[in-house]
Amino acid sequence: MGTDLSFTPFQKVLIANRGEIALRIIRTLKEMNIKSVAVYSQADRNSLHVRMADEAVCIGPARSAQSYLNIDAIVTAAKLTGADAVHPGYGFLSENADFAKAVTEAGITFIGPDANSISLLGVKSTAREIAVKAGVPVTPGSDGVVGKNYHAIARKIGFPVMIKAALGGGGKGMRACFNEEDLDRMMSTAQAEARANFGDDRMYLEKLVLNPRHIEVQVAADNYGNVVAFAERDCSLQRRHQKLVEESPSPFVDAATRVKLQEAACKLIEAANYRGVGTVEFLMAPTKEFYFMEVNTRLQVEHPVTEEVCGRDLVKLQVQIAQGEKLPFTQKEAAVIKCHAIEHRINAEDSEHNFVPCPGTVSEWIPSGGLGVRVDSHVYVGYAIPTYYDSLIAKLIVTAPERPQLLARSRRALGEFVVGGVKTTLPFHKRILDNADFIAGDTDTGLIERMLKQEKEHESQN
Amino acid sequence: MDTKLIKEVTDWLKTTDLAEFCYEKDGNCIEVKTQEALPEPAAFACSLTAVTAPAIGIYHAADKGQNIALTEGQLIEQGAPLGVVETVSKKHKITAPVSGKLRVITVREGAVVEFGLPLFFIEPREC
Repeated sequence: MGTDLSFTPFQKVLIANRGEIALRIIRTLKEMNIKSVAVYSQADRNSLHVRMADEAVCIGPARSAQSYLNIDAIVTAAKLTGADAVHPGYGFLSENADFAKAVTEAGITFIGPDANSISLLGVKSTAREIAVKAGVPVTPGSDGVVGKNYHAIARKIGFPVMIKAALGGGGKGMRACFNEEDLDRMMSTAQAEARANFGDDRMYLEKLVLNPRHIEVQVAADNYGNVVAFAERDCSLQRRHQKLVEESPSPFVDAATRVKLQEAACKLIEAANYRGVGTVEFLMAPTKEFYFMEVNTRLQVEHPVTEEVCGRDLVKLQVQIAQGEKLPFTQKEAAVIKCHAIEHRINAEDSEHNFVPCPGTVSEWIPSGGLGVRVDSHVYVGYAIPTYYDSLIAKLIVTAPERPQLLARSRRALGEFVVGGVKTTLPFHKRILDNADFIAGDTDTGLIERMLKQEKEHESQN
Repeated sequence: MDTKLIKEVTDWLKTTDLAEFCYEKDGNCIEVKTQEALPEPAAFACSLTAVTAPAIGIYHAADKGQNIALTEGQLIEQGAPLGVVETVSKKHKITAPVSGKLRVITVREGAVVEFGLPLFFIEPREC
């Protein structure tokens, strides 16, 4: 693809985030010779992203609502520091259309899709409508928000059904209902949860696919109608809808299905007139049929898995697209599979006691190293993990030419990772690697819960 | 210890306006403080009430659109306007949290301030 288009490179980018992802973005900006501005809350004064950025400004108190979620403060910080673009990272304001709009209205580039795409794809029911129009398979469902007639709709779809909040995310406002007797009760609890979390209780219904896999496709689209899709990520290993381990390529997806997935993802992104990087999430049945779930209009936690598999820097790609550059590679080049990669999310949580968060001061920190190991983390010895934010302390990304080698290397890397002072999920990740179903590549979104249940039963027997 | 030297130093100190004196020779150290010597800096800081920036933005010495004049040493009442911090969409009002003497003004008109930056120090009026 020849690029005869002129564009103005960014001079300075503000990162509207914290923790490992802020560091991840700063690293790419440094390589691109772009100055970085970190924003921080009072609880993050000693954070590594503050030290590593070229400039850092305090935007508010510890509570995210007044700092990392404070649109006014972040846009003001961008204006005052003279940033010409804002990178939202993931979480916080990354999928907030009002934020994208406020940044753009201040004359600053938002590194991501425009506010309109975020709001269209952010509401799950409208995203689904776009998918239906684009001919992308969706699970049988209510095709929009349900009213008082939800009983009839549920019967038509056929039980079991999923009750989902229109503005939902992270498993909140979501209920699986296996028979009609439970429907009213499930609907009212899901609605209450949705109201509490999103201030909106519009709900929709979907067929519940039993024993599904969570398969997602990383995509990138430029301003000139070019769209590419990368090899899929298998994120089936989840606990309470939170991903713990992500793998690419999926051991379950064959070459023909892979092409179908990529085509479906591209069609959807084209139909939505989307710009930037994003992720199209699918639910895959044991028959390998797949259904569109949702689009994440941002960079994802697990993006390094794809970076390793395709050998490209996705943050750099985001910046290039936002600067107005054309996609620097073709679909064929994007879909290349250079290795097998896995990511373990290491959280400061006590995995032996119901995953309760364990904030505290890190007294010892020996991250894994060696061939095929990448650790993305903001932690250092003496770092006090604040209680205000999520508990992710490191992402361990391991690569190898083939899956059996990958599992051996992962086991080795987890074994040498030492974190002192706080409890972490490292022991749990080791047990995942010893799970026979996982080793066989036979996973679904229920595997972790089954594993935990088996462990509990085993404990009570002894 | 040379007590004669200490006496000489103390007598000499009385003739000066120095508050503290420290002398070190051959491993001996003499440190003398007069009654007027200030207490430890930490304790000094605690006696003043800091007024910090309520947001990141630009400081203006203004209230209700009118410029206000603030001078170090002036007496102010609790709730008195100390200016605003202007962000892209808001004006955050700053008011005196206590009554007392405005001892230090660290901010000037039009300055960029970060959240939490001390802008004023007030010496609270003793009750």
